Amino acid sequence: MKKWIVLALAALAASVVASTASGSARTAAAAQKISCRSTLKIAIVTPLTGGAAFLGQEQLSWTKLAVKQLAPALGLKIQLLQGDTPVEQGIAPAQTLAQKYVSDPTVMGIIGPATSGGVAASAQTYFQAKMAQISPSATRTDLTYTVNGKREGTPAFFRVVPADNVQGPSDAAYMVKTLHVKKVVIFDFQEPYSQGLATAVDNYLKAHNVTTIRVSAPVSTTDFSSYVTKVPSDASAVFFPTQQPPQAQTFAEQLVEQGKKAIMFSSDGSDAPSQYNKPGGYLSNFAPDITGIKADASLIAAWKKANPGQQVGSFGPPAYGATQVLLQAIHNACAKGHGSITSRADVFHAVKKVRIKNWILGGSFRFSTKTNDPLNAKFYIFKIQSDGSYKLVG
Amino acid sequence: MATFTQLTVDALTLGSVYALVALGYSLVYGVLKLLNFAHGDVFMVGSFIGYGALQALGGSSSPDVPVWLLLVLVTLAAMAGCAVLGVVLERFAYRPLRDAPRIAPLISALGASFFIANSMQLLFGAQQRDYQSYNLSGGSLYFRGFDIGQVHVPLLRIITISAALVMMVVLWYLVNRTATGKAMRATSFDREAAAMMGIDIDRVIVFTFVLGSALAGAAGVMFALRVPTAASLGFTIGLKGFTAAVIGGIGSIPGAMVGGLLLGGAESYTAGYWTTTWSDLVVFSILIAFMIFRPQGLLGRADIRKV
Amino acid sequence: MSDTTPFSSDVPAATPAVGQDEWVARHAERRLARGGRLGAIEGRLRVIPWWAWLVLFVAAASTMPAIESSGYVRRVGFDTVIFMLLALGLNVVVGWGGLLDLGYIAFYGIGSYAYAIFDSGQFGYHVPTIVAIPAITLLGALVGLLLGLPSRRLSGDYLAIVTLFFLELFETVATNGDQIFGHDITGGADGILNVDPLSFFGHALPVQHNGIFAVSYYYVALGIFAVVFVALRFVNRSRTGRAWRSLREDPLAAEVMGMPVNWLKLASFATGAAVAALTGTISTALSASVFPLNFSPVVLITVYAMVILGGSGSQAGVVLGAIVVNVLLQMLQNPGQARVLFYVVLAGGVVAAFRLSRRLAVLVVATFAFGALVRGVAGALHRSWVDGAHGGIAHAISDWVVIPVRLASWLPPVSYGLLLALVLGLTLVRNGWLRVAVLAPTLYLAAFVWENVMLPNPGPTRYVMLGLLLIVLMIARPNGLLGERRVEIV
Repeated sequence: MKKWIVLALAALAASVVASTASGSARTAAAAQKISCRSTLKIAIVTPLTGGAAFLGQEQLSWTKLAVKQLAPALGLKIQLLQGDTPVEQGIAPAQTLAQKYVSDPTVMGIIGPATSGGVAASAQTYFQAKMAQISPSATRTDLTYTVNGKREGTPAFFRVVPADNVQGPSDAAYMVKTLHVKKVVIFDFQEPYSQGLATAVDNYLKAHNVTTIRVSAPVSTTDFSSYVTKVPSDASAVFFPTQQPPQAQTFAEQLVEQGKKAIMFSSDGSDAPSQYNKPGGYLSNFAPDITGIKADASLIAAWKKANPGQQVGSFGPPAYGATQVLLQAIHNACAKGHGSITSRADVFHAVKKVRIKNWILGGSFRFSTKTNDPLNAKFYIFKIQSDGSYKLVG
Repeated sequence: MATFTQLTVDALTLGSVYALVALGYSLVYGVLKLLNFAHGDVFMVGSFIGYGALQALGGSSSPDVPVWLLLVLVTLAAMAGCAVLGVVLERFAYRPLRDAPRIAPLISALGASFFIANSMQLLFGAQQRDYQSYNLSGGSLYFRGFDIGQVHVPLLRIITISAALVMMVVLWYLVNRTATGKAMRATSFDREAAAMMGIDIDRVIVFTFVLGSALAGAAGVMFALRVPTAASLGFTIGLKGFTAAVIGGIGSIPGAMVGGLLLGGAESYTAGYWTTTWSDLVVFSILIAFMIFRPQGLLGRADIRKV
Repeated sequence: MSDTTPFSSDVPAATPAVGQDEWVARHAERRLARGGRLGAIEGRLRVIPWWAWLVLFVAAASTMPAIESSGYVRRVGFDTVIFMLLALGLNVVVGWGGLLDLGYIAFYGIGSYAYAIFDSGQFGYHVPTIVAIPAITLLGALVGLLLGLPSRRLSGDYLAIVTLFFLELFETVATNGDQIFGHDITGGADGILNVDPLSFFGHALPVQHNGIFAVSYYYVALGIFAVVFVALRFVNRSRTGRAWRSLREDPLAAEVMGMPVNWLKLASFATGAAVAALTGTISTALSASVFPLNFSPVVLITVYAMVILGGSGSQAGVVLGAIVVNVLLQMLQNPGQARVLFYVVLAGGVVAAFRLSRRLAVLVVATFAFGALVRGVAGALHRSWVDGAHGGIAHAISDWVVIPVRLASWLPPVSYGLLLALVLGLTLVRNGWLRVAVLAPTLYLAAFVWENVMLPNPGPTRYVMLGLLLIVLMIARPNGLLGERRVEIV
């Protein structure tokens, strides 16, 4: 028995040395220019396992579609690397992956990191290595803005979705101006996304003389019926910034079940007409639902074919967009360098100037000159109709 | 008062589910002295099987069979599937370790839990699955029901609580009034003596697992009828069911029921009346204090070791 | 007993000493002889003292950065050392004390948060590292003691429950710690950022150069590892260690013999907690941040897998376990490396099971033939059924394994379930030739499932493998790689 253990360990050690040795051979070749006709790599950094895997897997499926469709169209050969940052393991995976991709000179850019925490943990590493990161979902405001003197992001961090400081106030403004709310119950789930939004909405509402009640639930809660009792019968609205559409649906049903009159208002994480469709609720998103955009019809069909049985959600399309921006930047850098680039720094410099005409989320896309956020990002407010469809109202 | 009534209804609904899961833990612990960490994942698999059965029978908007039959079939499918899973678990992950030091089957259970939860994610993705029971017969499961004062108790909750009650009664009957039940109780008292009295230990243990897992499967369906399920749910619910079993006294069947209801109550009332931020903290502190001062739980037997 | 070397066993005796049974005297000799050539080598290795092994190991580990200039590999090396430290600490509680502590990671968390609170902008404290690290280690010991105090009366299973609850409690406090009576102590779900790096005598050690991991942290971690290893070794060889051993083997007998059982339990808890807290400080300094989700049950199970795999009770074993598990997890992240690993393990397993025999030859031929047949039929039926492979090795493999362009949605669950059923069924089959007959298609199915279902999803696959490893380990070799086989006297 021991003999086999020794042999097995020896084999393992040998294979490890072999695979890392082949890695370092690549590092040695870094000095030369990189031809744009060779296979370039991009990496997606997102939670592919664990509690947030639904988000990561959705982003991954759309990113794969983007690579498959757009890379040949742009004349590029792209290999997609997958980096898993399970939320249960904190930020260590994000940092390890940053090291991994930074040390491979053929990696041109990162789609992600998906979580604001992951960005904060690895931004310095990427910036110092001149690697651009384009995130489709990290919305914490201080990643591209300076908040209270702190700024967690770097010039190498971009995002294709607006920050929390846009969504929160615009939701709250709609509630005040159009819905004329007097008392709002604001939920958060003890994690950065919902807490950021909840705080932003809370501040705005308080400044406009609306009574607010904060309720905090652990992120693992699935049965909200006890929390529903905290919604007073005279509450005008409930702000429910969940990232899981089925949770929004269940909560809405339980509100009705307990006879509460409050209106449901949720954020972009709950955008999924097939799963959250309780009439009467409102939600905000940084793009109209792409199933309603005619230009995206073929795209959606292609995605559905590649992912049978899955629903189109709100996290995937921005990942497609982010990939599109990155690939376009690579293409532009290649064109500028006449078929070859010196390093990924060229791609980094090209990202900011990328313009996309047929943006998957509608209209056209370019980055704002002041921050690395999309220009003129606004949030759209939808109301769920009696047949379950979303209608643009603000 | 309305809040209290509502919270009590919540406590009962939640507590029934926890009680069913806790029963599985208690049954297996009684017979094998093993904390089956994979039990929560069996619960989760049950909810997924139920989902699959629901879709196979036409989905919640337009089912192929009447609603009551649909519910029965879905529950039965989940119970059957989980029973098979439980038997497989026992046969391949626990039986070889029956005479090993106590830590071995525990670690094996941890490994099995990981394996099941991640396999489900591998095969079916990480998205939440919603039964969308609101669509069943136009929402009648929610609208019909009876009212206690201002509080409306929907039919769905009534079904959940009564189904759990029925299952617990059947279980009580099985354990206390049948020969196999007697064999189970004998085995949990003293395995070797039971073997010497001619009881087929293997069969008894398999039977225990079948019972416990079937209950978990049913609980999975009842839970998922009201809230969405996902592959990562097994650990959380497993922990709660496990807590309930411990409070009530692990190894004791009435204890599991009491523990489940108490835990459901603790969660609901703390969330409803007090600060929700610290509700988890309160529950865990109570539990730790409980364990320290009365480790055998409310209705459990104090462990007397004969030297 | 004689823990002089990593490979523990008795020194052979040629003739029985006074009062010693002849069988016992000859037993060690017989075992050596049974080992054959490898046993002889083992015998010679056993003579090398443990500290020589440690020096050799640390020296070898120190040369790793010289061979490997990739920041990524060095960072993985650092993570491995951290896990080694955690495994050493857990070994004290589980391996030496015999206590099932499911809340161990909470101490890691306490150490991490303590360092973050006292060495960052959170409150403005910047305690020098020389003071912080020992202080936090002591803090960890204290908390371990506090947790152990109420738990001393609890036996095995109940202790596991209470410690698990303690871990959940810690997570709740950490996640909501930004609202403790209006004060932000733990930074809540956003964690604490901009934690100071380690600084010695006023010199701060930067954590990265141009984004690349600073190798100085690797050496610091290695140094601390060596110190902890030696310290724990001395503790184990002391009276306390011997008392732990007797407590582990039979708690009742130990108590009857007058051992201070409660104090011993507390001591092992406190020691393990101290090691964990110490580890927390270094890893937080490197990450320059701490988040509540860093300390979830997943990390706990990973460390447990390391300890179990290596052999609980053996320090060298848990270190080896930590290296193997961490390397495996990293390798499984990367599809290319994971593929190689899988086929090597599969081939190795088959060879190990059948040795070099006729059956093996028949099996290999049958598997390849079966595969070629299926592949041929599939390819002939429809091109898209076999064209799904990308990349060099995958293309070569797809000449044997069926890799469709697109998988029907029922195919993954059905094939996975079938594979599971076949594998489990195989363990029930006794007849040798029947085994071979069923094994050939099973191996092919395994390759199919691996390529099409598991490799495209490296995330959950890693943990599926980890779970499987734990189960198989417990059944086949519960004492792990280097642990001692223990018999529980009931």
